[in-house]
Amino acid sequence: MGSAVEAIDVVKVFGDIRALDGLSFSVKHGEIFGLIGPNGAGKTTALRIVSTLLLPTAGTVNVFNLDVINDAAEVRKIITYLPEEAGSYRNLSGWEYLEFMAKFNIKGKNELNRMIKEAAEITGLGERLKDKTKTYSKGMKRRLLVARALMNKPKLAILDEPTSGLDVLHAYHVREIIKRYIEEHGVTVLLSSHNMLEVEHLCDRVALLNKGKIVAEGKPQELKEKFQSANLEEVFAKVVGLA
Amino acid sequence: MLKGFINILVKEIKELVRDPKVLLGMIVVPLIMFPVLGLIMGYSMQSAREQAEKATLLVVDNDGGNWAKNFTEYLNSSVKVSVVNNIALNNDVVLKLLSDHNVTQFIEIPSGFSANMTKYINGNIEINAAVNFYGVFSGGGILQEVGSAIIDSLVAGFNRVVAPNAVYTFKSAIIKGEVQEGVDPSVLSRLMLSQAIAMPITIMILLTYSMSIAATSVAMEKEEKTLETLLTLPMDRFAILMGKLSGSILVAAVGAVAYMIGFDYYMGSFTAAIPSTTLDLVSLGIVPSLFGYLLLGISLFVTLLSALALAVIMSAFSEDVRSAQSLVGNITPIIIIPALLLMYLDVNSLPLALKIFIYALPYSHPIIAAKAVMMGDYWTVVWGIVYVTIFTLVILYAASRLFATEKILTAKLKFRWLRKRAKKPTEELQ
Repeated sequence: MGSAVEAIDVVKVFGDIRALDGLSFSVKHGEIFGLIGPNGAGKTTALRIVSTLLLPTAGTVNVFNLDVINDAAEVRKIITYLPEEAGSYRNLSGWEYLEFMAKFNIKGKNELNRMIKEAAEITGLGERLKDKTKTYSKGMKRRLLVARALMNKPKLAILDEPTSGLDVLHAYHVREIIKRYIEEHGVTVLLSSHNMLEVEHLCDRVALLNKGKIVAEGKPQELKEKFQSANLEEVFAKVVGLA
Repeated sequence: MLKGFINILVKEIKELVRDPKVLLGMIVVPLIMFPVLGLIMGYSMQSAREQAEKATLLVVDNDGGNWAKNFTEYLNSSVKVSVVNNIALNNDVVLKLLSDHNVTQFIEIPSGFSANMTKYINGNIEINAAVNFYGVFSGGGILQEVGSAIIDSLVAGFNRVVAPNAVYTFKSAIIKGEVQEGVDPSVLSRLMLSQAIAMPITIMILLTYSMSIAATSVAMEKEEKTLETLLTLPMDRFAILMGKLSGSILVAAVGAVAYMIGFDYYMGSFTAAIPSTTLDLVSLGIVPSLFGYLLLGISLFVTLLSALALAVIMSAFSEDVRSAQSLVGNITPIIIIPALLLMYLDVNSLPLALKIFIYALPYSHPIIAAKAVMMGDYWTVVWGIVYVTIFTLVILYAASRLFATEKILTAKLKFRWLRKRAKKPTEELQ
């Protein structure tokens, strides 16, 4: 069985900046894989390439054996992408937003209703789903968007900083949603985060990114043992020569 | 003084002035646009007046008497006159005369002119002499009146020399190939001026308002990152573009209807106070037919579509709503200039270079069409629609290409020439 995501020697150049510089990684079926690193390391660019938003300057990326350049339309059928700090449509209610998004994947009315009900349950927003999303707090909005990203049971969910900027309770809720979905539906997740402590508890495997390159990769526990560190932050500091 | 006010004010000014898009849209564009508009208007008016003065005035002398000769000689001292004698005028003859001599107006000195003049000079002031003025009416506009006004001043000049009120002018208009006796084309022009003003204003507001809606709609999606989500969904990306354009058109159309209703009440509120005119526009045939309205609607629709597509493309080059709106604001001069020009001038009276410029701007065409359908000149409207449609297709193709690639997310306009030192490219995408 092939990998869920296979990135080989990916380079992305914006003007004078080399955002990705020979990035290679592989995500297995059904795992939560984290790309972690500081701001500007290239995490978002990598996720945008996997989700067919950007084209790589060089290298190849396959998602379930589909090429993100040549088979982009097919790739979009099996993935969902959640951008960092994304908004929802301010004047739609939470329910209407879920309905709007579900209609891109589902045709039948019964299945549509079932999917929206399930998504509504994931959000945990209850009656507030009837309110316009402009009245939501940042945490509520994120729960809505994560539910949207998972509700159609994609083969691969790409989540950019899923808990960034959330308080402890909302971050915990979002992490629980992701974990539960993986267990129940076997969705593969590729996520990015600069919160290394959080990722340590959420991801099966991680890749540490710095200046567009992977500087270390493996299970969090293995990396900590290998670099004799108490947590991934220390691992990162040692790898990039800060400690 | 409010505590902290100066500090806030200085910060606001710095932020606004340092944004090149705001600087360009709010300060540079108006500074250039109005002088340019003034120059164009002045040039057009002067050129039309010179043309009217240089043109040969055709005189049909059906009297042949001494006073007719005196009158013709007087005219000849001011303008170049070409005289034809003894032609009995009827509708077909009038049209043939205009066509043969390539003119849009002429004067007839009718039989009995000299006799009436003699009686008047001899003290019978009840009988004054008439000359007949025939002018082609080709739609509203101030310059429509130039020819008629020159005749009036010539007749007044002759009266000053000979005897007060000796000669009066009986005016007739040629509308859509029909001579309408007693209808002064300049009065008709003034009457149609309200319509000539209403349409450009409506179109100007409609275009700028709908462009602003479309630009905001795309910029909002970019700002809120909902566009990124949409672009990764299993859907045709062209559908995003068309959905946005259609939504903006619907909102703009409702806005246009509301605007026109409001404008109609506005016009009605003060035209009601003006004494009613004897001119009945319906019987003169100067109201658009159903087909004319249909053509006008199509013209407006394709123009609106091209403006919206352009706004969508432009907003793709901005990061947020504010910069999208100031970017789109930069193209309002090419909407405002033709609207203001055509409010006062007839496109056919413009010098050739200006005429080409106006026809080249897609946003002129619904305004030209509004006047053309009134005059039954459907081909002008049809060619306008064809031109704007081609322009729109090119813009739509560019917009669809933009949506099909990563440019929709990465494109940014750089104004390095406005900055003293070049900035490094943005790192936002990392």
